Amino acid sequence: MTTEQHSAIEAERHDPPHPTPIQYVKIAVVLAVLTGIEVALFYVGDVFGGLQTPMLLVLAALKFVIVVGWYMHLRFERSTAQRFFGTGFVIALFCYGIVLLAMGAFALSR
Amino acid sequence: MTDLAHAPEHHDEHESTGIDNRKLGMWAFLGSEFLFFGALISNYLLYQGRKGFPGPYPADIYDIPFTSISSFVLLMSSLTMVLAHNAMSRHDRNGTKTWLLATAMLGSVFLGGQVFEFTEFITEHGMKTTTNPAASAFYVLTGFHGTHVAIGVIMLLSLWGIARRGSLSDRHGLNVELVGLYWHFVDIIWIVIFTVVYLIR
Repeated sequence: MTTEQHSAIEAERHDPPHPTPIQYVKIAVVLAVLTGIEVALFYVGDVFGGLQTPMLLVLAALKFVIVVGWYMHLRFERSTAQRFFGTGFVIALFCYGIVLLAMGAFALSR
Repeated sequence: MTDLAHAPEHHDEHESTGIDNRKLGMWAFLGSEFLFFGALISNYLLYQGRKGFPGPYPADIYDIPFTSISSFVLLMSSLTMVLAHNAMSRHDRNGTKTWLLATAMLGSVFLGGQVFEFTEFITEHGMKTTTNPAASAFYVLTGFHGTHVAIGVIMLLSLWGIARRGSLSDRHGLNVELVGLYWHFVDIIWIVIFTVVYLIR
């Protein structure tokens, strides 16, 4: 291992400060509020017409990012771990997105 | 928070990439789980709109208020899990023990809710696994997620048992972190299922 590589790894080991317990509770409050908005949208979403589904997806994505980033600490994690986790997610999104589009899952209605 | 995976005693034994190999293995495993759940969610999305089968269809009988409470419970279990990890990193053994048990209890409440939901669907509404392809896909998806939650509860109770015996030492720090990663993953999968399967019509 070269000195530069060693220094890079050492630099990575100095973790940025993780959230405190109070900050974790605040994050939980945000997640609870987002869930409340989602449920409210389910009932009054007709007001927004075609925007209901995109809005629900955006809220779910927000909750997803908050849990992965702060509770799973992925944003504080080494880039190797981010790549391992992120690759699985992107491949799944890409593959199944194509499958659903190709099979017309979004066009069917009962 | 101290990163327990990088405590000195672990560093020399299990690292070659700047991250503990067991932790990297867990991240890779969780990444692969996206493909597993992606298949099940896609399966449900493909079958939920298929015509020509007897009802009821899952979307006709969802109890959204009940499932919303279940979702809230699982979401809060992520908070108790991260507090357990935080307590562990501060060497607060009692705190770790308490939060691990709280997480296991919340997970059990979620599982109880799922059992109740399935029972209602089958006995009250007559939606069995063979009623229609959408029902089949629904039970397989939510059932596999429930199985993951059950495995998580078993792991949490095991850690709690170790803590109760007073044997939870710093060398278990990584175990708490790994179980935490698994638990949060189960939570994010439910975030997707709740929105895509239950809320979007």
